[in-house]
This record gives sequence, C-alpha cells and structure tokens, in this order.
Amino acid sequence: MPKQIPIDPGQTYAADTVRFADIPVHAYRSDLAGERDRWGDDRLRRALRDMMIVREFESMLHAFKSTGAYRGIEYVYKGPAHLSVGQEAAAVGSAMALAPHDQIFGSHRSHGEMIAKGLAAIAAMDAGALAAITGKHDDGRLARFVADHIGDAGGSAGEAFLLTGVLAEIFMRDAGFNRGMGGSMHAFFTPFGAYPNNAIVGGSSGIAVGAALRAQLTGSDAVVLANLGDGSTGCGLIWESMNFAGMGQFRTLWQPPFDRHPPVLFCFTNNFYAMGGQTRGETMAWDRLSRIGAGVGPAQLHAETVDGSNPLAVADAVGRKTRILRAGEGPALLDIECYRYSGHSTTDTNAYRSRDEMKAWQAHDPIARFRARLVEGGVITAEEAAALEEAVGAQIEAVTRAVVDRQKAPAIDIKSNPAIIGEMTFNGETVAPTGRAGDLLIDPADSKAMQSIARKSRSGFDAEGGLLSPMRAVTLRDALSEAILHHLVHDESLIAYGEECRDWGGAFGVHRGFADIIPYHRLFNSPISEAAIVSTAVGYALAGGRALVELMYADFIGRAGDEIFNQLAKWQAMSAGELRLPVVLRASVGSKYGAQHSQDWSSLVTHVPGLRVIYPATPADAKGLMMTALAGNDPTMVFESQRLYDRVETFEAGGVPEGVHGLEFGTAALRRAGDDVTILTIGPSLYPALDAADELSSHGLEAEIIDARTLVPFDYATLVGSVKKTGRLIIVSEAVERGSFANTIAANVTRLAFADMKAAPVVLGAPNWIAPGADMEDSYAPQPHDICDAILGDFFAEKRVNRRGLRDWDIIDMAKRGI
Amino acid sequence: MATEILVPQLGNEVTEAEITEWVAGVGDEVSSGEVVVVISTTKAALEIEAPTDGTLSEIRVDEGELTEVGAVLGVIE
Repeated sequence: MPKQIPIDPGQTYAADTVRFADIPVHAYRSDLAGERDRWGDDRLRRALRDMMIVREFESMLHAFKSTGAYRGIEYVYKGPAHLSVGQEAAAVGSAMALAPHDQIFGSHRSHGEMIAKGLAAIAAMDAGALAAITGKHDDGRLARFVADHIGDAGGSAGEAFLLTGVLAEIFMRDAGFNRGMGGSMHAFFTPFGAYPNNAIVGGSSGIAVGAALRAQLTGSDAVVLANLGDGSTGCGLIWESMNFAGMGQFRTLWQPPFDRHPPVLFCFTNNFYAMGGQTRGETMAWDRLSRIGAGVGPAQLHAETVDGSNPLAVADAVGRKTRILRAGEGPALLDIECYRYSGHSTTDTNAYRSRDEMKAWQAHDPIARFRARLVEGGVITAEEAAALEEAVGAQIEAVTRAVVDRQKAPAIDIKSNPAIIGEMTFNGETVAPTGRAGDLLIDPADSKAMQSIARKSRSGFDAEGGLLSPMRAVTLRDALSEAILHHLVHDESLIAYGEECRDWGGAFGVHRGFADIIPYHRLFNSPISEAAIVSTAVGYALAGGRALVELMYADFIGRAGDEIFNQLAKWQAMSAGELRLPVVLRASVGSKYGAQHSQDWSSLVTHVPGLRVIYPATPADAKGLMMTALAGNDPTMVFESQRLYDRVETFEAGGVPEGVHGLEFGTAALRRAGDDVTILTIGPSLYPALDAADELSSHGLEAEIIDARTLVPFDYATLVGSVKKTGRLIIVSEAVERGSFANTIAANVTRLAFADMKAAPVVLGAPNWIAPGADMEDSYAPQPHDICDAILGDFFAEKRVNRRGLRDWDIIDMAKRGI
Repeated sequence: MATEILVPQLGNEVTEAEITEWVAGVGDEVSSGEVVVVISTTKAALEIEAPTDGTLSEIRVDEGELTEVGAVLGVIE
C-alpha cells in the first residue's frame, strides 16, 4: 500500500504568504530570588564551583602548552588544546538542565561540556549507582588508580574519577576513559551521558540525531544535545541533520507511539569566531545564528538566542527546550552567545580580533559575574567563594600531579604488542538475532514479493543444466533481500533507510515488498542527504541500535566522505573498543550513466582503516556475506554491482542456501582450478574472467580463478597458495588502476611468493580516466579479451597471439601525461 | 470488440514478468485507466491498467505464473 500524502494542485497554486514567528533574543530576565527557589542555594553554589573546575582544568592545559609547567609541575604536552575559557556558563548551564541519562555529543571544543555534564551527573547519582559505574569501567582500574594515587585530594571519588579519566585521556594514557585512543578531541564517558566529542566541526550533528532516533524508538525519555559551534553553521551536515530531525513523515506517516520527532537539541555555543573567521558579518549570511531555525520548518526549531555568559539563562533555555523535546515536538535550536577568551588553539595569536574587543568582554566573564551575583545575593560569602576557588585549584593540581607521572599513568604498551592499536579496530562479535519482531505489519510468508522469490529455483540451472532466467531462479538481488528481510524480521533493533527505500523498494529493488511487512519507524525513505544518512546511522548504532543504510550509488560516497571515513570508520578504535558500530552501509556500483554513476570505489574505502569491505559476485555469497555483515557488531561497507543484480547462482551445487546462511569474511573462493595462471577477481570481474579462462583453454592454458569476496578482511593464504602453484598472477577489478587496492595485493603477493613467481604480477583495472557512457563502457571495465590480452601478452608472449583489446598503452608515457 | 491486455516493454534487458496479482476478476466491469493486474519484473512491481472500458472476459496468465514481454495477459470485451 503506497503512502497517501496527496499533492493538490489547487491548494499548491493558491496565493498565500509564508509566515515566520518572532525569534526571541536574550528574553531571559534575571531574578535571583526566583532562581534560588527553583534550584536551591546549594545547586547555585555548585554551578559556580563547576565553572571554576572547568576554568581551572583548562587553565592547567593552557599553562602546560604555553609554559611547560602548572603549579610547579613540569610537563610537555604535545597534543592539541582547543580551550573554551569564557564559555563555562554555556557548558555548566546546559548540564544543570539535564538528567544523568540525557546525552550530550560534544563540539570541537568540548572539555568543558564533558566535565560539566559529568559533574552534574555525579551529583545527581546516588553513591551506589556511582560506585557501580566506577567499579565497572575498565574493570575498576581507573577507580583503583584514583584511590591509590590521588585519594581525597582529587575531590569526591566520583569527581576525581571523572577528572582523572578526562585528563589521562587528553594526555593519551592507558588510564584515560578511552585508553588514550581518543585524546583531547574525542573524549567521552557514556555512563555520565557524555557522548563522543568530535574533532570534525559539526560532526556531532547527525550522530546526535541518530542517537535521538534511538531514544525515540526505544521509548526512552532521554534528550540528546548536539553541541556545536557557530562555525558549524557553514557545514552541510548540520543542515542535513536539522532537516532529518524535522522530517514531516514522523508526524504524517509514522504510527503511534513513534509519531514524534527525535528529541534532539542543536545547541550552538556561539563564540562569534570559527577559528579566526568571524561568523556574523564575515563568513556567514545570518545576522543572528538563531535565524537559521526559521528556514528549517514551521516550528522554526523553537529557536532562541540566549545569554551564554549566564549559566541560569542557559539552564532556563535548555530546560524549556528539553520539555518540548520530551513531548516529541522537537527538534530545537539554541544560539548560546558567549565569548572565548582563549585562542582557538595555543598557536593562535589573536590576529583576527582587537585588544579593545577582548578587553570589553572581560567585563562579561561568566565566572566573575556569577560569583559576584551570588555574593551580592547572599548565596555565598566572598570568603567562601575564595575558599572554593582555592580548593578547586588544589583538586586539579592533585589530579594533574598523578596523571603527568608516566610511571603511574603510562601510555598503552605498544612495544609489547605492536598491533595493539590495530586490534582495537574491530570487535569481531556476532549477534545472531533470535525471536521474531513484534511489530510486523504482515507475516512475511504472505508477502507477494517473498512468495515470488519462494517460487523460484534456488539454483541457476534447470534439471538439464540449462541456465535459468532471473525470473525463474533466485538472483543476487533476491539473495540480498532474503538476508536483509531475515534480520529485519528477527531483530527489532535493526532499522533500514536510504533514498527510495520504502515504497520504491530501493532504487534497485532489493527492498521490494518490505514496505508491506516492516513498519515505518524501521523502514523509511530518507531525504537525499547522504552525509546525514551515514551520520545518523553512526549515532543510532553507538546508542545501542543497529542500522542498515543505503547510498544508492557508490559515487555518492563523496557526499558522505567525512561520515564514512572519519566517523563510521574511526569510533570503534577511537573508543578503544568501548563503542560498537553495527552499521551496514550498502552502495551499488552502477553502469550506463557514465562518469558520476559508474565508479567502483571499493579501493577508496579499503584504503581507510576501520571498515569491513565486501563485494559479493554470486547470489549465495551475497546472502552469506550480507547475513554475516548484519549479524556482526562491526561497521561494514557492501559494494553491489548493478550488473550482477539479475545474476542467478551458478557455483553452489545446491543453489542459494535457504534460511540462515552466514559466510565468514576473509575467505576467498576458488571458482575455477588451473595450473598456468591465477586470476584474482574483485566483484563483477569474476564473470569476464570466467569467459577469458574458456578462451585461454583454447590456447592450451588453464587459469585458476579466485574470487576475493571480501577486501577487508582479505584472504592472502588462499591467493598465495594458488600463485605458488601457477607462478603467475593477474588481478582484475573495475576500480581504476592508479591507487587501486589490487596494487597492494600485487605487492604483497610478490613479497610472499616471489621465489615461486615466473613473472611480475599484473593489475588490470579501469583506466585512469572517467567512466564513459553505456555505449563505450566496454572500453572501460575489463572485458574477457582484455584479460586474455594481458595474460597472453605479459605471461605467454611466446604464443604470439594477436591482441584484441585496446589496452596497449605505455605506462610511463601515460603517467607522465597525468593519465 | 475484444481488446487484449498486453505485457508492455519493460526496459532494455527485461524479457519476462510474473503475475503478482489480478486486481480484477473475470466478469468484472473495468474502465479505461483502472488497475486490473499487477506484474513484477526482477526489479520492480508494475500496475497494468485497463486499455479500454468493458468487461474482463478472459484471464490468460494466472497469478504466480511467468510470461513474456508482449504476451496477452487477458481480454476485455
């Protein structure tokens, strides 16, 4: 049943006006008496103290960076220090309004955000819950480190744990929250609701939306803050993310209780400078950052500009927005204006702003002002405030003294295990789905699309050995459908989305019929927002869900470059294995359309560590590899050749296995045995290689064909075994030859089997230029005659067979000409 | 006058289709443009509309069966 959101031409063309509501700017009115009633004096004093802790912590980092010493402790800190001195009220005010289980995703400048959230969570937790968290983390090692080396000097056990975990992380030590793998710019500790901060400007926006989607689908009342800077309003991802969180379908198409918006607050700490570029007046079009809310949807993201130098103004605004979010009426946006006194980084000479301006803002120092107000209002005495400041200094000093000591707090031991960082890339876990989702719209057995597949032959051959048509035998497309549907039907934590994923069934029909079975909240059409598609999947997964998302064409990987290469590929290792990212990302390799729709970018994705990369060429493999991908807890990129969607199974004797069928990654398949030459194929190149092997037989040569199946992990053992037998290797793929992963394989096999090789290996890929359109495509993707030319020409020149293909160019000359 | 319901040309490489569902039954009055049968190719489902007003007098290919581009699915009189 297709969706019904009719577009009425009469209504569409009726004269009308698009109206905007006013956006409040600094509407908060200070009322200390009211705030004392609301928060209590103790909480107000803690807010002051929390700001002092953040300030002292960052001043310590600044001291190390600028002078190499802090309070007599000498230490050379080589890492980055993007400090937020002057922004403490934004961080502490936000945290005041949040519950421990509410989540913040950090900005580029987020030490303060994380510390403030942690301090607020610790204060709100009872001792038992806190002890359970500190005792569980890293098997209690950090808690013991604090007890042994810092003790009471670091403040309460919870505070000392937090500050030590953050500082050790910044100093890249094993005792850090993420064993030093995240460092200053990627630190987090989820039990306190402090989720990853992000070194990529705006990087948290889509991840936060994904985490909010997870909260929405699990019925959690948690809200999610995407902490961002004003500079990120120039990044495409934040616009994609705001739109994604505001999609109309949440209200028009999703069924109760899911018919609400993901509870996400786009929380901009607006310090007026994006590094050195001045946002208002120079690099942005907006005059007030909050204006951008008006462009996103009729609710205008409930946008407001608030005073970021006053923690109570921030707490008031964040509190009001969280109530909107918990009611499902989000997303929301806050523009929190405050001034960064510290430079962007420690190499900043403030060349972009005047001394007069910096001086003028000193009068708005959030800590000095709040302290004065509390003293004036009788919440704290001047002496008590001074004692508080001194105690905070001693607390930070005690933590710092313990953490700088490399004897007490060493880095991870790379010498005793040189691959220790590499081993954090993947967890290798498998989670077999059990039971059946309770939210299915119909029994999958009643689906017309599934019945159609069920009528087909599992094998691609009929009883007489004739090849069956793709309407009569299970195709690679059908095999993918079976694998995906099995997981959607048996795993309610799995959601699937991408462009045209629902009614259309995916641009290439892999999701065909799923819309009859899977409800909207687990299968939906996404906007054409590749960056947000991947980014939200990352957030959904690291918040505990599982996501299968689709980019339609592999060429669109470019649109999601950061999200694939810096987020999806990195967070498992940057968290030292703490986070799991069960995301399966599908992309098809096209044909016919030419340069922007026909590229095999499997080499590009393989180049960046952190993703499992698979490229099935047969229906049985497609099913087996997809099932393994979906059952795994590691991020996986699946390449699918559009030319192969209609392929039937011609290798497995029993055809495409029915039911659950997992295929281990990193196991190459022997497709044809031979003694004279080994042909390694990647993806669809298997089929021209088989045709080439038939032709080579007529020349008295028997080729052995090995199908790589997966590129990460890769099976060298099978390949090297074959090359040692044949002595010759050609690798065929549709990736362009320059920089192709095939060259890496060729180089490694040469090292591993050199003594047995009779010739240098040959890499046959696409030439180093654009993919031409359909009529010229056979000059681009390697054809059987190209494979024969390469083998007969390079390995068996004595046979003097005439070349039939076009590839007879001079590598040196071509390279000199840049092609 | 009898009008045949034909399997349309479905793309360069598509030669076969499966009958997913007959929306109209034999004897039903149908009007031009009304969906009478849904067919599927390897990639997508396609709704076939009645080419003319009349009565569906004959179904030549049953649900679940395969047919080819250009074949007669049914007849409207």
